[in-house]
Amino acid sequence: MSNIKFVIHFLILLLIQLTILDNVQLHSYMYINIYILIIYILPYRLRNATILFFGFFLGLFIDLANNTMGIHAAATTLIAYIRPRLLMLTSNREQIDDIQGKQKISDFGWFFKYILISTAVFNVVLILGEAFSIQNFLITLLRIICSTVASIFFILLYYFIALKKKRN
Amino acid sequence: MKEIIKLILKYHFTIIFILLEFLSFSLIVLHNNYQRTVFSGYTASFFGTLSSIITDVDDYFHLRTTNHKLVAENTNLKNEIEKLKAYHHVVSIDTTWLIKDSVEVDYVYKTAAMVNSGFNKTKNYITINKGTTDGIQREMAVCSGEGVVGIVQNVSKHYARILPLINTNLRVSGKIKKNGYYGSLQWDGDDYRYSYLNDIPFHVNAEPGDTIVTSGLSTIFPKDELIGFVESVDKVTANFLTIKVKLATDFKRISELYVIKNTRKQEQEELEAISNE
Repeated sequence: MSNIKFVIHFLILLLIQLTILDNVQLHSYMYINIYILIIYILPYRLRNATILFFGFFLGLFIDLANNTMGIHAAATTLIAYIRPRLLMLTSNREQIDDIQGKQKISDFGWFFKYILISTAVFNVVLILGEAFSIQNFLITLLRIICSTVASIFFILLYYFIALKKKRN
Repeated sequence: MKEIIKLILKYHFTIIFILLEFLSFSLIVLHNNYQRTVFSGYTASFFGTLSSIITDVDDYFHLRTTNHKLVAENTNLKNEIEKLKAYHHVVSIDTTWLIKDSVEVDYVYKTAAMVNSGFNKTKNYITINKGTTDGIQREMAVCSGEGVVGIVQNVSKHYARILPLINTNLRVSGKIKKNGYYGSLQWDGDDYRYSYLNDIPFHVNAEPGDTIVTSGLSTIFPKDELIGFVESVDKVTANFLTIKVKLATDFKRISELYVIKNTRKQEQEELEAISNE
Protein backbone atom coordinates (compact mmCIF):
# COMPACT_ATOMS: atom_id res chain seq x y z
CA MET A 1 0.00 0.00 0.00
CA SER A 2 1.50 3.31 -1.00
CA ASN A 3 1.84 6.13 1.48
CA ILE A 4 -0.69 8.44 -0.14
CA LYS A 5 -3.33 5.74 -0.30
CA PHE A 6 -2.61 4.91 3.32
CA VAL A 7 -3.10 8.53 4.40
CA ILE A 8 -6.40 8.68 2.52
CA HIS A 9 -7.64 5.47 4.18
CA PHE A 10 -6.40 6.81 7.51
CA LEU A 11 -8.47 9.99 7.20
CA ILE A 12 -11.60 8.24 5.90
CA LEU A 13 -11.52 5.63 8.68
CA LEU A 14 -11.05 8.25 11.39
CA LEU A 15 -13.88 10.28 9.92
CA ILE A 16 -16.24 7.27 9.87
CA GLN A 17 -15.25 6.38 13.43
CA LEU A 18 -15.65 9.83 14.94
CA THR A 19 -18.69 11.07 13.05
CA ILE A 20 -20.81 7.94 12.65
CA LEU A 21 -19.78 4.94 14.72
CA ASP A 22 -19.00 6.78 17.95
CA ASN A 23 -22.51 8.20 17.90
CA VAL A 24 -24.23 4.84 17.47
CA GLN A 25 -25.66 3.71 20.80
CA LEU A 26 -26.09 -0.06 20.99
CA HIS A 27 -26.94 -0.65 24.64
CA SER A 28 -23.27 -0.62 25.68
CA TYR A 29 -22.89 -4.27 24.65
CA MET A 30 -21.41 -3.34 21.30
CA TYR A 31 -18.60 -0.97 20.66
CA ILE A 32 -17.89 -0.69 16.97
CA ASN A 33 -14.31 0.34 16.34
CA ILE A 34 -13.36 0.45 12.70
CA TYR A 35 -10.42 2.77 13.17
CA ILE A 36 -8.14 -0.08 14.30
CA LEU A 37 -8.04 -1.09 10.63
CA ILE A 38 -5.58 1.79 10.28
CA ILE A 39 -3.06 -0.16 12.33
CA TYR A 40 -3.71 -3.36 10.32
CA ILE A 41 -3.03 -1.70 6.98
CA LEU A 42 0.10 0.17 8.03
CA PRO A 43 2.94 -0.42 5.54
CA TYR A 44 4.32 -3.89 6.22
CA ARG A 45 7.94 -2.89 6.41
CA LEU A 46 7.14 -0.92 9.58
CA ARG A 47 8.51 -3.04 12.41
CA ASN A 48 10.38 -0.82 14.84
CA ALA A 49 9.16 1.28 17.75
CA THR A 50 7.45 3.76 15.41
CA ILE A 51 4.49 1.43 15.15
CA LEU A 52 4.10 1.38 18.94
CA PHE A 53 4.06 5.16 19.16
CA PHE A 54 1.71 5.31 16.20
CA GLY A 55 -0.69 2.90 17.93
CA PHE A 56 -0.46 4.72 21.24
CA PHE A 57 -1.15 8.18 19.83
CA LEU A 58 -3.93 6.91 17.59
CA GLY A 59 -5.64 5.39 20.63
CA LEU A 60 -5.00 8.51 22.67
CA PHE A 61 -6.59 10.62 19.94
CA ILE A 62 -9.75 8.48 20.03
CA ASP A 63 -9.65 8.64 23.82
CA LEU A 64 -9.59 12.43 23.74
CA ALA A 65 -12.56 12.45 21.37
CA ASN A 66 -14.56 9.98 23.47
CA ASN A 67 -13.43 11.16 26.90
CA THR A 68 -12.19 7.69 27.87
CA MET A 69 -8.64 8.73 28.79
CA GLY A 70 -6.15 5.89 28.27
CA ILE A 71 -8.46 2.94 27.57
CA HIS A 72 -8.22 3.00 23.77
CA ALA A 73 -4.53 3.88 24.01
CA ALA A 74 -3.83 0.74 26.07
CA ALA A 75 -5.69 -1.44 23.57
CA THR A 76 -4.15 0.04 20.40
CA THR A 77 -0.65 -0.11 21.87
CA LEU A 78 -1.12 -3.82 22.50
CA ILE A 79 -2.32 -4.61 18.96
CA ALA A 80 0.53 -2.55 17.58
CA TYR A 81 2.90 -4.58 19.74
CA ILE A 82 1.59 -7.97 18.60
CA ARG A 83 1.32 -6.88 14.95
CA PRO A 84 4.80 -7.94 13.74
CA ARG A 85 4.55 -11.29 15.55
CA LEU A 86 1.04 -11.87 14.26
CA LEU A 87 2.10 -11.13 10.70
CA MET A 88 4.81 -13.76 11.11
CA LEU A 89 2.39 -16.27 12.59
CA THR A 90 -0.49 -15.95 10.19
CA SER A 91 1.55 -16.11 7.01
CA ASN A 92 4.61 -18.19 6.24
CA ARG A 93 8.07 -16.82 5.87
CA GLU A 94 8.13 -16.81 2.10
CA GLN A 95 4.92 -14.91 1.82
CA ILE A 96 6.25 -12.23 4.17
CA ASP A 97 9.46 -11.91 2.19
CA ASP A 98 7.41 -11.84 -0.93
CA ILE A 99 5.10 -9.03 0.11
CA GLN A 100 7.58 -6.55 1.52
CA GLY A 101 5.76 -3.31 0.84
CA LYS A 102 3.49 -4.96 -1.73
CA GLN A 103 -0.14 -6.01 -1.94
CA LYS A 104 -0.60 -8.72 0.60
CA ILE A 105 -3.98 -7.45 1.65
CA SER A 106 -5.90 -9.03 -1.24
CA ASP A 107 -5.49 -12.53 0.23
CA PHE A 108 -8.76 -12.76 2.10
CA GLY A 109 -8.09 -15.94 4.14
CA TRP A 110 -4.93 -14.53 5.61
CA PHE A 111 -6.43 -11.10 6.18
CA PHE A 112 -9.43 -12.56 8.01
CA LYS A 113 -7.28 -14.67 10.33
CA TYR A 114 -5.18 -11.63 11.11
CA ILE A 115 -8.01 -9.21 11.89
CA LEU A 116 -9.93 -11.85 13.89
CA ILE A 117 -7.09 -12.34 16.38
CA SER A 118 -6.13 -8.66 16.49
CA THR A 119 -9.68 -7.38 16.95
CA ALA A 120 -10.41 -9.95 19.65
CA VAL A 121 -7.28 -8.92 21.57
CA PHE A 122 -8.18 -5.26 21.12
CA ASN A 123 -11.68 -5.71 22.50
CA VAL A 124 -10.50 -7.79 25.46
CA VAL A 125 -8.27 -4.92 26.57
CA LEU A 126 -10.85 -2.26 25.73
CA ILE A 127 -13.77 -3.85 27.60
CA LEU A 128 -11.67 -4.98 30.55
CA GLY A 129 -10.17 -1.51 30.74
CA GLU A 130 -13.64 -0.08 30.86
CA ALA A 131 -15.16 -2.61 33.29
CA PHE A 132 -11.96 -2.51 35.39
CA SER A 133 -12.97 -5.46 37.55
CA ILE A 134 -13.64 -9.16 37.13
CA GLN A 135 -17.05 -9.06 38.73
CA ASN A 136 -19.90 -9.96 36.35
CA PHE A 137 -17.38 -11.75 34.21
CA LEU A 138 -20.00 -13.38 31.97
CA ILE A 139 -21.44 -10.02 31.01
CA THR A 140 -17.95 -8.71 30.32
CA LEU A 141 -17.27 -11.75 28.14
CA LEU A 142 -20.53 -11.24 26.26
CA ARG A 143 -19.63 -7.62 25.66
CA ILE A 144 -16.20 -8.62 24.36
CA ILE A 145 -17.70 -11.14 21.94
CA CYS A 146 -20.45 -8.80 20.72
CA SER A 147 -18.00 -5.92 20.20
CA THR A 148 -15.53 -8.15 18.38
CA VAL A 149 -18.19 -9.52 16.01
CA ALA A 150 -19.62 -6.08 15.32
CA SER A 151 -16.21 -4.50 14.75
CA ILE A 152 -15.11 -7.30 12.43
CA PHE A 153 -18.33 -6.99 10.46
CA PHE A 154 -17.73 -3.30 9.80
CA ILE A 155 -14.03 -3.80 9.10
CA LEU A 156 -14.87 -6.48 6.52
CA LEU A 157 -17.47 -4.21 5.01
CA TYR A 158 -14.85 -1.53 4.55
CA TYR A 159 -12.40 -4.13 3.30
CA PHE A 160 -14.72 -5.33 0.56
CA ILE A 161 -15.74 -1.83 -0.46
CA ALA A 162 -12.44 0.02 -0.39
CA LEU A 163 -9.49 -2.37 -0.09
CA LYS A 164 -10.24 -5.66 -1.83
CA LYS A 165 -10.81 -4.34 -5.33
CA LYS A 166 -7.28 -3.01 -5.46
CA ARG A 167 -6.09 -6.48 -6.43
CA ASN A 168 -5.86 -5.80 -10.12
CA MET B 1 27.42 -1.82 31.38
CA LYS B 2 27.89 -2.63 27.70
CA GLU B 3 25.87 -5.79 28.21
CA ILE B 4 22.99 -3.85 29.75
CA ILE B 5 22.87 -1.43 26.82
CA LYS B 6 22.99 -4.37 24.43
CA LEU B 7 20.09 -5.97 26.30
CA ILE B 8 18.07 -2.77 26.20
CA LEU B 9 18.72 -2.37 22.47
CA LYS B 10 17.76 -5.96 21.83
CA TYR B 11 14.46 -5.68 23.69
CA HIS B 12 13.73 -2.00 23.04
CA PHE B 13 10.48 -2.88 21.25
CA THR B 14 9.10 -4.71 24.30
CA ILE B 15 10.45 -2.13 26.74
CA ILE B 16 8.81 0.76 24.89
CA PHE B 17 5.62 -1.30 24.73
CA ILE B 18 5.61 -1.83 28.50
CA LEU B 19 6.30 1.87 29.12
CA LEU B 20 3.45 2.93 26.84
CA GLU B 21 1.04 0.44 28.46
CA PHE B 22 2.07 1.72 31.85
CA LEU B 23 1.43 5.28 30.68
CA SER B 24 -2.02 4.27 29.38
CA PHE B 25 -2.84 2.55 32.64
CA SER B 26 -1.89 5.58 34.69
CA LEU B 27 -3.95 7.77 32.36
CA ILE B 28 -6.94 5.47 32.91
CA VAL B 29 -6.59 5.55 36.68
CA LEU B 30 -5.85 9.28 36.89
CA HIS B 31 -8.48 10.64 34.53
CA ASN B 32 -11.50 8.35 34.81
CA ASN B 33 -13.56 8.69 37.95
CA TYR B 34 -14.95 5.17 38.00
CA GLN B 35 -11.62 3.47 37.38
CA ARG B 36 -9.94 5.64 39.98
CA THR B 37 -12.49 4.61 42.60
CA VAL B 38 -12.09 0.91 41.80
CA PHE B 39 -8.31 1.21 41.85
CA SER B 40 -8.20 3.00 45.17
CA GLY B 41 -10.51 0.28 46.50
CA TYR B 42 -7.97 -2.38 45.51
CA THR B 43 -5.05 -0.50 46.99
CA ALA B 44 -7.02 0.25 50.14
CA SER B 45 -7.74 -3.43 50.77
CA PHE B 46 -4.12 -4.39 50.04
CA PHE B 47 -2.55 -1.82 52.33
CA GLY B 48 -5.38 -2.36 54.80
CA THR B 49 -4.46 -6.03 55.20
CA LEU B 50 -0.81 -5.14 55.55
CA SER B 51 -1.27 -2.52 58.19
CA SER B 52 -3.88 -4.47 60.15
CA ILE B 53 -1.18 -7.05 60.91
CA ILE B 54 1.15 -4.30 62.11
CA THR B 55 -1.59 -2.69 64.17
CA ASP B 56 -2.53 -5.99 65.80
CA VAL B 57 0.95 -6.18 67.26
CA ASP B 58 1.08 -2.50 68.08
CA ASP B 59 -2.24 -2.62 69.94
CA TYR B 60 -0.77 -4.89 72.62
CA PHE B 61 1.49 -2.11 73.76
CA HIS B 62 -1.41 0.26 74.28
CA LEU B 63 -3.74 -2.12 76.10
CA ARG B 64 -3.30 -0.37 79.43
CA THR B 65 -4.19 3.14 78.25
CA THR B 66 -7.01 1.80 76.08
CA ASN B 67 -8.39 0.00 79.12
CA HIS B 68 -8.30 3.17 81.18
CA LYS B 69 -10.18 5.05 78.52
CA LEU B 70 -12.79 2.31 78.23
CA VAL B 71 -13.32 2.30 81.95
CA ALA B 72 -13.78 6.05 81.93
CA GLU B 73 -16.29 5.80 79.09
CA ASN B 74 -18.08 2.94 80.84
CA THR B 75 -18.44 5.03 83.95
CA ASN B 76 -19.97 7.84 81.94
CA LEU B 77 -22.44 5.46 80.31
CA LYS B 78 -23.35 3.91 83.66
CA ASN B 79 -24.03 7.35 85.01
CA GLU B 80 -26.29 8.04 82.07
CA ILE B 81 -28.16 4.79 82.72
CA GLU B 82 -28.64 5.74 86.34
CA LYS B 83 -30.00 9.10 85.33
CA LEU B 84 -32.43 7.49 82.91
CA LYS B 85 -33.50 4.98 85.55
CA ALA B 86 -34.19 7.81 87.93
CA TYR B 87 -36.18 9.52 85.22
CA HIS B 88 -38.27 6.41 84.68
CA HIS B 89 -39.04 6.19 88.37
CA VAL B 90 -40.51 9.63 88.10
CA VAL B 91 -42.51 8.89 84.94
CA SER B 92 -43.43 5.28 85.61
CA ILE B 93 -46.40 4.97 83.35
CA ASP B 94 -46.57 1.86 81.14
CA THR B 95 -47.26 3.75 77.94
CA THR B 96 -43.87 5.47 78.01
CA TRP B 97 -42.28 2.05 77.49
CA LEU B 98 -44.46 1.40 74.49
CA ILE B 99 -43.49 4.71 72.97
CA LYS B 100 -39.83 4.16 73.69
CA ASP B 101 -39.80 0.70 72.09
CA SER B 102 -41.42 1.90 68.90
CA VAL B 103 -39.13 4.90 68.53
CA GLU B 104 -36.83 4.75 65.51
CA VAL B 105 -33.29 5.80 66.14
CA ASP B 106 -31.78 8.54 64.01
CA TYR B 107 -28.19 7.38 64.33
CA VAL B 108 -26.68 3.92 64.50
CA TYR B 109 -23.23 3.45 66.02
CA LYS B 110 -20.74 0.80 64.92
CA THR B 111 -17.35 0.18 66.48
CA ALA B 112 -14.26 -0.19 64.35
CA ALA B 113 -10.55 -0.47 64.99
CA MET B 114 -7.97 1.68 63.32
CA VAL B 115 -5.42 -0.23 61.26
CA ASN B 116 -3.41 2.58 59.73
CA SER B 117 -3.06 6.31 60.16
CA GLY B 118 -0.93 9.32 59.48
CA PHE B 119 -0.54 12.65 61.23
CA ASN B 120 2.61 14.19 59.82
CA LYS B 121 1.39 15.18 56.36
CA THR B 122 -1.03 17.87 55.22
CA LYS B 123 -3.34 15.25 53.73
CA ASN B 124 -3.57 12.55 56.36
CA TYR B 125 -5.76 9.48 56.18
CA ILE B 126 -6.93 6.80 58.58
CA THR B 127 -7.82 3.24 57.59
CA ILE B 128 -10.26 1.19 59.68
CA ASN B 129 -11.07 -2.53 59.65
CA LYS B 130 -14.75 -2.26 58.72
CA GLY B 131 -16.05 -2.04 55.14
CA THR B 132 -19.12 -2.52 52.98
CA THR B 133 -19.76 -5.97 54.47
CA ASP B 134 -20.28 -4.27 57.84
CA GLY B 135 -22.60 -1.69 56.35
CA ILE B 136 -20.09 1.13 56.13
CA GLN B 137 -20.78 3.56 53.33
CA ARG B 138 -19.17 6.71 52.05
CA GLU B 139 -19.76 9.97 53.91
CA MET B 140 -20.54 8.42 57.25
CA ALA B 141 -19.32 10.22 60.35
CA VAL B 142 -16.50 8.79 62.44
CA CYS B 143 -15.91 9.60 66.11
CA SER B 144 -13.71 8.27 68.87
CA GLY B 145 -14.64 8.09 72.53
CA GLU B 146 -13.09 11.54 72.91
CA GLY B 147 -14.63 13.39 69.99
CA VAL B 148 -15.06 13.81 66.26
CA VAL B 149 -12.49 12.04 64.04
CA GLY B 150 -13.60 12.51 60.44
CA ILE B 151 -15.65 11.29 57.52
CA VAL B 152 -15.54 8.00 55.59
CA GLN B 153 -14.13 8.74 52.16
CA ASN B 154 -13.61 5.40 50.43
CA VAL B 155 -14.86 1.93 51.23
CA SER B 156 -13.64 -1.50 50.14
CA LYS B 157 -15.08 -4.82 51.23
CA HIS B 158 -13.39 -5.06 54.61
CA TYR B 159 -11.74 -1.67 55.02
CA ALA B 160 -12.68 1.97 54.90
CA ARG B 161 -10.55 5.04 54.40
CA ILE B 162 -11.30 8.03 56.60
CA LEU B 163 -10.65 11.66 55.88
CA PRO B 164 -9.81 12.89 59.41
CA LEU B 165 -10.09 16.41 60.79
CA ILE B 166 -6.33 16.69 60.28
CA ASN B 167 -6.61 16.67 56.48
CA THR B 168 -6.64 20.06 54.81
CA ASN B 169 -9.30 18.84 52.37
CA LEU B 170 -11.93 18.30 55.05
CA ARG B 171 -14.22 21.05 56.23
CA VAL B 172 -16.63 20.39 59.06
CA SER B 173 -19.32 22.69 60.31
CA GLY B 174 -18.58 23.53 63.95
CA LYS B 175 -20.52 25.49 66.54
CA ILE B 176 -19.67 27.34 69.75
CA LYS B 177 -21.77 25.44 72.24
CA LYS B 178 -22.63 28.28 74.60
CA ASN B 179 -24.08 30.71 72.04
CA GLY B 180 -24.79 28.60 68.96
CA TYR B 181 -22.77 30.58 66.38
CA TYR B 182 -21.35 28.25 63.76
CA GLY B 183 -18.50 28.36 61.26
CA SER B 184 -16.41 25.99 59.23
CA LEU B 185 -13.58 24.07 60.83
CA GLN B 186 -10.53 23.50 58.66
CA TRP B 187 -7.07 22.28 59.46
CA ASP B 188 -4.08 24.39 58.40
CA GLY B 189 -1.77 21.40 57.89
CA ASP B 190 0.59 22.27 60.70
CA ASP B 191 0.06 20.83 64.19
CA TYR B 192 -2.12 17.73 64.51
CA ARG B 193 -3.43 18.91 67.87
CA TYR B 194 -4.95 22.16 66.67
CA SER B 195 -7.46 23.16 63.99
CA TYR B 196 -9.10 26.46 63.08
CA LEU B 197 -12.73 27.55 63.15
CA ASN B 198 -13.36 30.28 60.58
CA ASP B 199 -16.25 32.52 59.55
CA ILE B 200 -17.39 33.41 63.07
CA PRO B 201 -18.71 37.02 63.10
CA PHE B 202 -16.41 39.43 65.02
CA HIS B 203 -18.99 40.44 67.63
CA VAL B 204 -19.36 36.91 68.96
CA ASN B 205 -18.02 36.38 72.41
CA ALA B 206 -15.63 33.43 72.40
CA GLU B 207 -13.11 32.77 75.13
CA PRO B 208 -10.38 30.19 75.65
CA GLY B 209 -11.88 27.05 77.14
CA ASP B 210 -15.24 27.29 75.36
CA THR B 211 -16.54 24.06 73.89
CA ILE B 212 -16.81 23.55 70.10
CA VAL B 213 -19.29 20.91 68.93
CA THR B 214 -20.72 19.78 65.59
CA SER B 215 -23.58 21.94 64.38
CA GLY B 216 -25.73 19.11 63.03
CA LEU B 217 -26.41 21.17 59.92
CA SER B 218 -25.02 18.57 57.51
CA THR B 219 -26.57 15.15 57.15
CA ILE B 220 -23.32 13.52 58.24
CA PHE B 221 -22.66 14.34 61.88
CA PRO B 222 -25.15 14.12 64.72
CA LYS B 223 -25.72 17.33 66.61
CA ASP B 224 -23.47 18.28 69.54
CA GLU B 225 -20.62 15.81 69.03
CA LEU B 226 -17.53 17.20 70.75
CA ILE B 227 -14.89 18.63 68.41
CA GLY B 228 -12.62 20.45 70.83
CA PHE B 229 -12.00 23.49 72.99
CA VAL B 230 -11.11 27.07 72.15
CA GLU B 231 -7.38 27.66 72.56
CA SER B 232 -7.14 31.27 71.41
CA VAL B 233 -9.18 33.80 69.45
CA ASP B 234 -7.71 35.98 66.68
CA LYS B 235 -9.29 38.79 64.75
CA VAL B 236 -7.61 38.32 61.36
CA THR B 237 -9.97 40.11 59.00
CA ALA B 238 -12.28 43.02 59.79
CA ASN B 239 -15.48 41.02 60.03
CA PHE B 240 -14.58 37.53 61.08
CA LEU B 241 -12.77 35.79 63.90
CA THR B 242 -10.42 32.87 63.52
CA ILE B 243 -10.59 30.58 66.49
CA LYS B 244 -7.77 28.17 67.25
CA VAL B 245 -9.32 24.95 68.49
CA LYS B 246 -7.56 22.29 70.52
CA LEU B 247 -9.01 19.07 69.12
CA ALA B 248 -10.59 16.74 71.66
CA THR B 249 -9.37 13.70 69.72
CA ASP B 250 -5.69 12.88 70.07
CA PHE B 251 -4.95 11.60 66.58
CA LYS B 252 -1.68 10.05 67.70
CA ARG B 253 -3.37 7.78 70.18
CA ILE B 254 -6.79 6.74 68.88
CA SER B 255 -7.36 3.09 68.10
CA GLU B 256 -11.05 2.43 68.81
CA LEU B 257 -13.53 4.36 66.67
CA TYR B 258 -17.26 4.65 66.17
CA VAL B 259 -18.74 4.93 62.72
CA ILE B 260 -22.06 6.73 62.83
CA LYS B 261 -24.79 6.09 60.33
CA ASN B 262 -27.53 8.63 59.88
CA THR B 263 -30.58 6.49 59.14
CA ARG B 264 -32.56 9.41 57.81
CA LYS B 265 -29.84 10.90 55.64
CA GLN B 266 -31.38 9.70 52.39
CA GLU B 267 -34.81 10.98 53.30
CA GLN B 268 -33.45 14.42 54.15
CA GLU B 269 -31.32 14.63 51.01
CA GLU B 270 -34.17 13.53 48.76
CA LEU B 271 -36.43 16.16 50.26
CA GLU B 272 -33.79 18.85 49.85
CA ALA B 273 -33.10 17.77 46.28
CA ILE B 274 -36.80 18.08 45.43
CA SER B 275 -37.03 21.49 47.07
CA ASN B 276 -33.99 22.74 45.16
CA GLU B 277 -35.43 21.90 41.78
